Amino acid sequence: MSNFIYYVPLSIILVALILAPLVFAFVISIVRSDYLCSLIIIVIAAVLAISSLILFARVTITHQIIHYAPGLIDWNLLVTIADFGLMAMFIRMGVRRKSVLILVFAVIQTIILAWVEFGPKHTEMAYPPIFIDWLSIVMTLIVSIVGSIVAIYSLPYMREHERHQNLTVSKQPQFFRTLLLFLGAMNGMVLSGNLLWIYFFWEITTLCSFCLISHDETEESLRYATRALWMNMVGGVGFITGIALIQLKNLPMDASRLLQLVHTGNEAHLVALLMLPMACLCFAGFTKAAQMPFQSWLLGAMVAPTPVSALLHSSTMVKAGVYLIIRFAPIFRHTGLSEMVAIVGAFSFITGAMLAIGQSNAKKVLAYSTISNLGLIIACAGLNTPLALAAAVMLIIFHAVSKGLLFMATGVVDQSIHSKDIEDMQGLWASMPLTSLIMVIGILSMLLPPFGVLIAKLAAIESSIQNPLVMAMLVIGSTLTVVFWTKWMGRMLATNPRADGRKRESLPALYAGTLAVLASGAVILSLFVKPILENLVLPAVANYYNVAGMEMTPTVLSAPWLMIFLVIALSVLAPTFFNHLRSSQIKPAYLCGEQIASHSTTAQFLTVADSAAEMTVRGYYFEKVTDESVHVKWVTIVATLLIVILFGAVYLWK
Amino acid sequence: MEIINIFFVVVIAPVIGGLLFGLDRKLTARLQKRMGPPILQPFYDLIKLFGKGRIAANQFQLISVSVYIACTILSLILLATGQDLLVLLFVLALGHIMLILGGFSVRSPYSQIGSQREILQLMAYEPLLVFMVIGTYLKTGSFLVSNLMTGSYKPLLISLPAFLLTQIIVMAIKLHKSPFDISASHHAHQELVKGIYTEFSGAQLALIEMAHWYELILLMGFIALLWQTNLIIGGLIAFACFLAVILLDNISARLTWKWMIRFAWTFGVGISVANLTAIYILR
Repeated sequence: MSNFIYYVPLSIILVALILAPLVFAFVISIVRSDYLCSLIIIVIAAVLAISSLILFARVTITHQIIHYAPGLIDWNLLVTIADFGLMAMFIRMGVRRKSVLILVFAVIQTIILAWVEFGPKHTEMAYPPIFIDWLSIVMTLIVSIVGSIVAIYSLPYMREHERHQNLTVSKQPQFFRTLLLFLGAMNGMVLSGNLLWIYFFWEITTLCSFCLISHDETEESLRYATRALWMNMVGGVGFITGIALIQLKNLPMDASRLLQLVHTGNEAHLVALLMLPMACLCFAGFTKAAQMPFQSWLLGAMVAPTPVSALLHSSTMVKAGVYLIIRFAPIFRHTGLSEMVAIVGAFSFITGAMLAIGQSNAKKVLAYSTISNLGLIIACAGLNTPLALAAAVMLIIFHAVSKGLLFMATGVVDQSIHSKDIEDMQGLWASMPLTSLIMVIGILSMLLPPFGVLIAKLAAIESSIQNPLVMAMLVIGSTLTVVFWTKWMGRMLATNPRADGRKRESLPALYAGTLAVLASGAVILSLFVKPILENLVLPAVANYYNVAGMEMTPTVLSAPWLMIFLVIALSVLAPTFFNHLRSSQIKPAYLCGEQIASHSTTAQFLTVADSAAEMTVRGYYFEKVTDESVHVKWVTIVATLLIVILFGAVYLWK
Repeated sequence: MEIINIFFVVVIAPVIGGLLFGLDRKLTARLQKRMGPPILQPFYDLIKLFGKGRIAANQFQLISVSVYIACTILSLILLATGQDLLVLLFVLALGHIMLILGGFSVRSPYSQIGSQREILQLMAYEPLLVFMVIGTYLKTGSFLVSNLMTGSYKPLLISLPAFLLTQIIVMAIKLHKSPFDISASHHAHQELVKGIYTEFSGAQLALIEMAHWYELILLMGFIALLWQTNLIIGGLIAFACFLAVILLDNISARLTWKWMIRFAWTFGVGISVANLTAIYILR
């Protein structure tokens, strides 16, 4: 087996991971057959998943960081040309959408890019453009496996989605084309070491997210897609400025060499020069990861079909933002910049959770929760210790699985009850038992033991203890997180005794399959937290900081997790299977003895003058305390100030 | 040794917890110039509840109660065997959230409102517990109880005095004592009937009651940790706190959830953070 893995040429793996999705994206837009399209998607999904696993196995066996120069043609030249092609597309979109912002940012980027490519400065690359280390492997696995599952889930979803739209020509080919392009670009980004390559793939993801958000081409979706585009282009300007600054100071332009500067230790003066470019790259990361004050593009993005949200929030796009920050974190360790990155992240963590409490739209709750969790990951990157980075990488993995699952389940519910409102999901436990069970598992896996997100969160709290301000924010934010998730689960579980007998639910095979894979993935990955940490996360981190393994293992892992897992599983399973209530033992809810006919299908009670009234209940949203329109204002102001301080910190706080 | 600890926790702890609740009822009655029930009344109640016919509103209630009591006992075992305090807190939270979901699972106005408010109770006390655990970490460099017990540290109360106060607040909130009896009260004569517990009955209610006994011992255990060098002194401090909570219950009236959150998050969090800050500075 190991021989086989070793003999698969690296070039083939890379072609499968990056080029195959890109090429088949164009094949899909040519073939006009739903059947063929589905086939291609499923095959590509399998190819991606298998290739990423082979790459993982290969690096596990060889223990080597891979530098690789792709052959045949001058890829650098190709990337340069494609880069300008992309800029031309952005400008065209700015014109077509009549958006001055897009136009301005596209032109600025083009000018800086031209300066970088053709200007007086020229940097030699120390290493070839492909750079694969453990962090790349973690990201590729997430993109290729979770992303592929979302792609397969989109097949039945988009068919159902279009059934209501009365289109003359199906837009599915465009949709799946963009989807594949997205996955290929994400893989390209995480497997590249050359900053210009990373930037190129970064911009493709920006473009793809625009196309996916605007997919329905309604007034609303175009407006939000435009917003997403210009906000991400602000980040793009930050990114290319960072690259230009690095070039201006004659510093190396590949990630691998930049990280080495820190490791050797005798090039401290060069590292000091890197702070401003790093601040620019972090800024780019904030925009893509939708940190406050750039949260609004991700919230607007929820107008897109649900698979798009599942993709943007779990395995791609926003994860690109945190990846960029984590990638360069060791470079700005022990600086004011790092402190400020931690504070910006922690601020998004706490405010995202706070704003989620007031929302009743399920997708909006999920969006705020994503912003909040990415804030936590960025806070970890800012804390910048081996332990914190281990927590960050764990969060990336477990958040991708759980959040993908939750969005997909929300999509299934939406197509069944035609609402995304949590209030309308009341009693889903009875009407859609399977989907709601999966959603409850998804939610529990986001916040409670024995699931991986919580274990990572505890590691984050442990590593934040050195930084009291961030620590306090993480503790309060974690508490707020519990509130909105619990409220949501409570709505779904609220059923009328006797009236709502649990129905049998049958899901289309591709829905059931993809949901089941992710739900069992959330549980099984949590069972194997320790091996995942030891074989995947710690190598990524160790390689980064050049430290021995000991100080990175979070102490929470020493808890008897297996016993905890068993006790919880037993206490759930025992009453489920061995203590079954007979229907005669199920009694209606207490309504002060004024209940009308307990056998009726609704809960009615006698009120004034013996007239009947329907009993209704709804969730609390604390509207007066959590009013979004009020809070978003000050949150935006504070977050903007924090980012200004971040840039100030580069100069003042060395 | 661990086996003895676990045995003690599973068998003896609820007996002590039940007796303490009996004492609570007696003292409260005396403070109100009533005779009050015998000290063993909680046990009689429990036996009576277990003897009731089996009825419930749905199957999920059984699961929620089972996870609630399992997690509560499990967290007490984690404490007694010297495990990680942070993990313990979240195992406890899992149990609590499952109980809340059990309350939510019935479309009944009383248990629904009770459950919503129970989330707020949880939200009020959770950070206070986490801050205390972080305080112990700052003093001992570990979340492990075993590390705290075996290391040669001075009693934690000397450096973490604020946490005695916050633990009293936590205990009052967790036991639903006035002024924090917002989601449910010990006297079923308020507008919420029995709040979150309204829809539980018979054996399920008995199990919840037993879980409360375990929970009381767990909370007292937390307070006893503040005098970890001599657990008898620690236990006495915890007992004094319990008496303080009973007194507080009898001299105050129920207040609103907004007041509770504001109080816990300004006063409680305030003194916690102040205490932690002092440690950071003095370190």
